[in-house]
Amino acid sequence: MHLTEDQMDDLLMGDLAAEPAAHLASCSTCKAQVAEFETSIASFKAVTLAWSERQSATLPSKLLQPVGSAWQRGASWAAAAAVLLVGIGVPLARHETRGAQVVATNGALRAEVAGAKQAGGATAAHVRESGPGAPGVVAVSGKSDAQIARDNQMLQAIDRELDASVQSPADDFGLAAAGGPSAGHGHFAPVENWD
Amino acid sequence: MTNVRAAERSSTELDDIDALVRTYRPRLLRFVTFSIGDPDLAESITQDCFLKAYNGRGNFRGDCSVNTWLTSIALNLIRDQQRLQKFRFWRQARATAIDVSDAANFLASHESSAEARILAIERTEQVQAALEHLSVNQRAIFLMRFAEDMDLADIAAAISMPINTVKTHLHRALKAVRAQVGGSR
Repeated sequence: MHLTEDQMDDLLMGDLAAEPAAHLASCSTCKAQVAEFETSIASFKAVTLAWSERQSATLPSKLLQPVGSAWQRGASWAAAAAVLLVGIGVPLARHETRGAQVVATNGALRAEVAGAKQAGGATAAHVRESGPGAPGVVAVSGKSDAQIARDNQMLQAIDRELDASVQSPADDFGLAAAGGPSAGHGHFAPVENWD
Repeated sequence: MTNVRAAERSSTELDDIDALVRTYRPRLLRFVTFSIGDPDLAESITQDCFLKAYNGRGNFRGDCSVNTWLTSIALNLIRDQQRLQKFRFWRQARATAIDVSDAANFLASHESSAEARILAIERTEQVQAALEHLSVNQRAIFLMRFAEDMDLADIAAAISMPINTVKTHLHRALKAVRAQVGGSR
């Protein structure tokens, strides 16, 4: 009579009673069954442990560094926060300073434009745009009203010279400028007589 | 008195986390990997386990071995994951399951011939296939008994179950595994 399944399980679990243990010692069939199972388990243990050791061997040597003391962690966080504040704060402060400069410049610009208008200079020509990305934000060279007036006079002289020296293609068709020199180029009125 | 000495010895052992990882990681990783069937998640759980053990080393009383204590922590982490359904267990995790044919190549060649390694691969695959059909508790208990060589009392302590419940799970697991790998009539 061989060991039952339950007795075999008990044996493998290490919980076998004395009588079945005595049978096992003398029964080659039961011994072979136990050996077959134990060989499979031994193979499983060896192969899986080899796999696991290999996995563990590829880990960095300091995988699990113990964390430092509380004050060390606190100091680290404080340092990180300080770096972050400096990193954000400095560019922000610079931006604000530049914004204030732009506002001040705009104020000066408005004053200068008003002055130029009062002086009769409709073009207020010394206003230049600071760039295409900043419409409406302008900078002004620091020239006086007298200088602006001289520049305007020079530009008007150039304008008159150009009007006198350049033959307009419209002249061939009997077209005449609709207004005076102040109307500028390109505004033509047809002559009364087309014949 | 013995427990106090064991606790002191183990406490010193637990203070050196590098040595702790070196000593216990392979076995613990194997246990977790074959308990859940997902090697990637097993890595994460194993790492968490060591961190928990290190942080809670003051709670270790020395009434069991460090290996048993670590295994019980790993079991709790596995249960937490199972409860939160952060991952799917063995049957659903086949896509990422460990390839034992690859693992067999890591066996030291001087210990076994090529033929013996092929046989080892086949037997390991049979056990692995049998484990797939076990419940989580049956699989964990089977691995603790036959892979970790823990006795029934330690298993009962680690998994927080009465010893008779452990035996019942182990009987069922053994029947299923023996039917698959042999040693069964």
